[in-house]
Parts: sequence; structure tokens; C-alpha cells
Amino acid sequence: METRRDVFQAIADPTRREIIALIADQQPLTLNAIAEHFAITRPAVSNHIKILNECGIISIEQIGRERHCKIQPDNLKKVSDWIGQFNELWEQRIDSFEKYVYQLKAKRNKHGRK
Amino acid sequence: MVENDLAKRVLTLKKTFDAPVDLVWEAWTEPGHIAQWWGPNGLALTVVVHDFKVGGKWKYIMPMPDGSEFISEGEYSEIVEFQKIVTSANFRPMTEGVELRALFEKIGDKTNFTFSVVHPTEEYCKQQEKMGFYNGWGSAFERLTNYLTSMVNKH
Repeated sequence: METRRDVFQAIADPTRREIIALIADQQPLTLNAIAEHFAITRPAVSNHIKILNECGIISIEQIGRERHCKIQPDNLKKVSDWIGQFNELWEQRIDSFEKYVYQLKAKRNKHGRK
Repeated sequence: MVENDLAKRVLTLKKTFDAPVDLVWEAWTEPGHIAQWWGPNGLALTVVVHDFKVGGKWKYIMPMPDGSEFISEGEYSEIVEFQKIVTSANFRPMTEGVELRALFEKIGDKTNFTFSVVHPTEEYCKQQEKMGFYNGWGSAFERLTNYLTSMVNKH
């Protein structure tokens, strides 16, 4: 079965989020350097890196015997765009509430005059 | 006015309504009114549960065009009449474990209204043992946001 990979899957796991933040802070980082920051096994870290790479969040470059990881900012931006949409939704909802308040007020004033 | 501070995991929207506080309060709290403004344009909303008291639950259902349902629900943790409402909120499928705060301030015949969406901390999420992206707005995420902001500024 083929697994679907996207940015949201990349950041669905807390360890992966930590890995992304770590690389973003100190890139480029080797796989070994990343693994040192975590209590989990190196193969487990390696698997997270693999998923992040498949999700397009990080690029891996083989230099000599080391694998160097870098952030792919364009794909990561999709995440912040998504969050932006969520905030927009609230803005729209509060705008919609404002409109309704004025409708209700107009209705009340009309009845008051009668 | 929009204050959008992702680093603090809080979205705050402020408005001054040219309407008395009792009317604004009524529009915000009565199910018949809520159904009129909560849903995005063109989407019907059903208020299924509305137990407006501290500890009381609320649940709204919106049918989606694809036949699924979008559910908003939560539990009121603080209600001060004409002043303040605090409630937990889950939006399924989307965001879980957020807190909504609505503040009402009477300014003569007008009302200052402040609405905040507070996303949970990573520590909270860990407690919940539900660390999916949709509720995981943690420190790692803040650093990411800072990183993205610095990227944008560079270009």
C-alpha cells in the first residue's frame, strides 16, 4: 500500500516537529548531529528524517560519508498558509457576527417605533 | 483591528459595535441567533446542544457540501453576564483543544468586543496524548513560525 505524504503528515508527529525546528535553527545538520538530540534510537530518527524527506520538508545531501539535512522552506510555507486560513475563518465569523448584530439592532429599532 | 500573534498561540480580534451590550450578548449567546451567524456563508447550522451555564456543553453541526459534517463543540468554563464567556472548543475535523474567550465591555450605547482563540501549549497536548498536528501548536511550531518569518524578511 502506498502511503500518502504531505507537509501536514510531516508535522503530525512531535519528534518530527522537533527535528524540523532543530534543522531550521542550525542547518545544515548531519543525521548524526540530529540523532544526538533525541533519546530515541538512531534508526528511529533516521526513519523520521526519511518521512520528512518524502514529505518534501527537508532535503538530504550526501557529502562523503555524512548525510546533510536542510529545510525546504517553500513546502513548509504551506503549513503557515494553512494556519492563516484558519485565522481568516475566525475573522470572517466575527465579521458575520457584526453584521448580524446590526441586523438585529435595526429590527429592534423598527419594532420599537411601531 | 486584528492582532495576530502566532508566537503566543493566540488570535485576538477586537471590534466596537454600535449596539448596546445586552443586544450583542443576546446575539452571541442565544441559539436562534447563533445559527444565523456562526456558519460560513451559505452553510446551514444546527445548534444541537446549548446548555449555557458554567460546565454546560454546546454543540453545533454544519453539513458539508460533500455530505460529511463539520462539528463544533465545547464546554463553558466561565460565564459573567454581559461581560465574559470562556469555553473550550473542538472543531472536527480541524482543530481540537482550543479555548475561546469573548469579552464584552459596555461603553454607553456601544460595546467593545474582544474575541480570542487560544491554542493549547505543547505541554497541554502531551498531557492529552493526542499530539496530532491539529492540536500541536507547541514550541517547535513557534520556532518554525519564527524561521518562516525570517525567511520572508530575507527575500
